[in-house]
Amino acid sequence: MRALQIAATGMAAQQMRVETISNNLANMNTTGYNARRAEFADLHYQQQTRAGTINAADGTIVPTGVQLGLGVRPSSVTVELSQGSLGATGGDLDLAIEGLGYIEVTLPSGQSAFTRDGGLKRSADGLIVTSDGYPVVPEITIPSDARSISINAEGETYAYFNDRVEPELLGQLSIAGFSNSKGLEAIGSNLFLESAASGAPTVSTPGENGLGTLRQGYLENSSVDAVREITELIEAQRGYELNAKVLTAADQMLGATTQIR
Amino acid sequence: MDNASYTTLTRQSGLQREMQTVANNLANLATTGFRKEGVIFAEHVKALGRDDPSLSMATASVANTDLRQGSLSQTNGTFDFAIEGEGFFMVETADGNRLTRAGAFTPNGEGDLVTHDGNRLLDAGGAPIFVPAGVADLQVSADGTLSADGQPLSQIGLFQPENPFDLRRENGVRFEFTGEVTPVENPTILQGFVEDSNVNPVGEVARMIEVQRAYEQGQGFLEKEDERIRAVIRALG
Repeated sequence: MRALQIAATGMAAQQMRVETISNNLANMNTTGYNARRAEFADLHYQQQTRAGTINAADGTIVPTGVQLGLGVRPSSVTVELSQGSLGATGGDLDLAIEGLGYIEVTLPSGQSAFTRDGGLKRSADGLIVTSDGYPVVPEITIPSDARSISINAEGETYAYFNDRVEPELLGQLSIAGFSNSKGLEAIGSNLFLESAASGAPTVSTPGENGLGTLRQGYLENSSVDAVREITELIEAQRGYELNAKVLTAADQMLGATTQIR
Repeated sequence: MDNASYTTLTRQSGLQREMQTVANNLANLATTGFRKEGVIFAEHVKALGRDDPSLSMATASVANTDLRQGSLSQTNGTFDFAIEGEGFFMVETADGNRLTRAGAFTPNGEGDLVTHDGNRLLDAGGAPIFVPAGVADLQVSADGTLSADGQPLSQIGLFQPENPFDLRRENGVRFEFTGEVTPVENPTILQGFVEDSNVNPVGEVARMIEVQRAYEQGQGFLEKEDERIRAVIRALG
């Protein structure tokens, strides 16, 4: 009885949905986190009677045939690229990206990674780094005697000093965009790697090419909408139960078959 | 076995097929753009000997696809499109063009709009839809016109098979079509929404119970028939 296996694929799909939702809820307070959504597609169809075959009895053409579906499969877990709300922190090095771009950082391996988490820090030698200590590209060093830092929407970073009125331009931050940001490979710690699906990054000045601008003193909150997640969770749970019910019913039918005689 | 048992068996195997479609519908409860399927039973008349009456049996000979509109879910995704009313998106696959109502697309590395399986979405003229990188504001109007930063790019094509029976289901929420397809005259596309599966869980569960009971009833009949034959054999000694 195929219905047993089909119901099992349905249960597995709903379970994956619950896993995605629980990860979203777990990351409700993760800076720059975008909610993920599990998407499904139907499985192969078993053609019991092909549509368009000729009916042996009277020579007419069968208009639709019998096609029996074999269940469901996960087709993707997509990132919902919606901007999270911005929370004011007042931090000198807290940057929120207003738009769809990413900040590029260099991993210890020398590889480039991309992040929307703009909670930046200052390393022991003055470099602007992420919370995990990865230097931001292009590298900007803050002099140790700088009183405060000002970063404008275009990423121009100025340092103010106690002994001078004029600020000093330290460098300009850039922003990276992808033709398919959803195709980036997530590696955890709010970091993403370029992949064959995402395409190569286009690096530009913030505000140009539609990649977004920087906002100092703010952090982007997680874009997870708790109410929506809970609604989805209920839906997934009920979906799971319905599929379990099919499993029971199909099993009882099978039981009836084995009890003949 | 006698004819009565054979007739019941055709019904039992048809019911199993129907159970399979119920299971598939419920498994695809959350599949974007999924269209519910059903089985139609038909009488299958078998000629017997010259002087005997013919034997009528049941076969689940036709599968039908329910093309009713599913509910729409708001996703706010730039590349999530839902069709309101008639029509299908046309996508390009390795085996030829296919129709689908699953409207969650995403640009691939080259900038072409593709489905989750990587098949390219086609415009009204049958060409792939390309979205240039670095577009800040991408809008789709109700008639499917795609514009980037206010400049029209292309128009998403919506097609309708002339004969809805020409559709053959394929994995990936796609339909293969054999006959002609015509462009939909007044398309309505909503951006930021996707169309849900049109499976109605309550209806499916009711059908499932019905199928299960009918099956058990058939088994009861087979048992009684078996007892009857046994009794005949015993009586005849």
